[in-house]
Amino acid sequence: MLSHSSPIAALKGATKVYGAHRVLDGFDFALEAGTVTALLGPNGAGKSTVAGLLTGRLRADAGTVNLFGRDPSDPLARARMGIMLQAGGLPETLTVAEAVDLHAGYFARRLPTAAVLDQAGLTALAGRRCDRLSGGEARKVQFALAIAGAPDLLVLDEPTTGFDPDARRAMWDVVCAKAEGGAAVLLATHHMDEAEALADRIVVIADGRIIADGAPDAIKARVAATAIRLRTRLPAERFRAAPGVVKVETVGADLSLLTTAPRLTLEAAFAIDPALQHFEVTGASLEDALANLIQSNRTTALKEAA
Amino acid sequence: MMSALIAPAPAVYARESWAEIVKSARMPQFIIPTIALPPAFYALFALAMGQGSAEAATRALATFGVFAVMGPALFGFGANIAAERESGQLELKRLSPMPAGAQIMAKLAATAAFSMVAFVLLYGLGLAGGVVLTALQWAMLVGVHTLAIIPFALIGLGIGYRLGQKGAIAVANIVFLAMAVLGGLWMPIAVLPEAMQTIAWALPSYHLGEMALMAAGQREAANLWLHVVPLALTTLAAAVFAWTGERQQAR
Repeated sequence: MLSHSSPIAALKGATKVYGAHRVLDGFDFALEAGTVTALLGPNGAGKSTVAGLLTGRLRADAGTVNLFGRDPSDPLARARMGIMLQAGGLPETLTVAEAVDLHAGYFARRLPTAAVLDQAGLTALAGRRCDRLSGGEARKVQFALAIAGAPDLLVLDEPTTGFDPDARRAMWDVVCAKAEGGAAVLLATHHMDEAEALADRIVVIADGRIIADGAPDAIKARVAATAIRLRTRLPAERFRAAPGVVKVETVGADLSLLTTAPRLTLEAAFAIDPALQHFEVTGASLEDALANLIQSNRTTALKEAA
Repeated sequence: MMSALIAPAPAVYARESWAEIVKSARMPQFIIPTIALPPAFYALFALAMGQGSAEAATRALATFGVFAVMGPALFGFGANIAAERESGQLELKRLSPMPAGAQIMAKLAATAAFSMVAFVLLYGLGLAGGVVLTALQWAMLVGVHTLAIIPFALIGLGIGYRLGQKGAIAVANIVFLAMAVLGGLWMPIAVLPEAMQTIAWALPSYHLGEMALMAAGQREAANLWLHVVPLALTTLAAAVFAWTGERQQAR
């Protein structure tokens, strides 16, 4: 058996080339049990390539891929993994219960169909044919297929597309419960709120490299920790030199200052505009943090190239 | 401990096959034409137009049995697998611990099941039309008809792995008609222009039809190898066609 500390899945020096484009070059990454890891980054950054290599959907051109200590194509490794692909069709003429039962049957450790349907919120739709489901309902069935084998690794690619807020929250609860039960969860998403709600660890990928890796709070703290919104008649340039300010943005009628020293910035702002009345101080959103990280990564890359 | 992770293969094969049959059986737009067309053509061409000749009924039964396999095999494999591939279903199965052969075996089982239904209808019509065969001849005829599943299923598979659903249906239709007409399944190739007759030698449908005629006592079986060898070669080519298509899937 694997020791407790060995990773669920790992890439070592993984390289993936499409034509002349090196999507990943010597990429190292590992997933730990009991952790929800969110992969974030712009389109084409390599997120789905990372997920594809770990699940055995893609083959690495160089480097090693390890899933439960085995090659990802080994059925013994696959038997411990549940996947929800972004484009996941369903057998149109089977009912929801039949589709779940068929897929669960591939796994010796399968959950009973009724339990899977219950967790995925599908009990009421058990007898419905898969070609008569809405987009969100079909997505729930795909989630049900992913959890049906009681996996130790759950891979979710944009899981809640097409969901209403209640259904979303319900699925998030199940995902959190799976992680608390010891499963590793790999989540690829565009929704920052989803990453923030679910992830214990956020890995930001840009241009095939990890540019940030840590808890959501730590990621946010790595960049300007605070956003200050000001209602002022003065032009944005006047505030750019204020202490701590790393970015100034016009948001509607307001200015938004991202700062690493909020107190100094505020004091300076009052000195610059004595008429300042309205202001608001908030933590930078994960989205702000991410945009900044990716932006500064580009700038660094350009400087290195120059 | 580790072996406790994988479901026993025979059980998976059985469930997958049953699901495949259920899936198709719930598609009347697929199942009615593929099963009913061969017996309907047989009743029309051989029985109604054959004017009660038992010999004509027997000859046609032999070749229409081969024809009956082509619908389920070409469309069941070709168009269905293309649709399942396009929708991502194949990928999900590929990433599951499902044994690699279960999907193919299930499709073969469904093709065989629907072909059997068509056989039963055909044989019933044949008996009503005056066909008289010995038990051995029946057994050999059923054997040749069942054998026909393999090359056509492989061709369907190769089409389904390469083309989208719409393209696969279009190509399957062309193959279906070419195999039937140029292979002499509807009427003997002797009625075709000579240049077209030579094409028959490259078609598994022609050789299967000739073998079925031999099984039913309508041809001298002396030159059996003249059909067995080309059939084996075309089946091998079909297997390569299917296998290379399957290989294109893995990246």
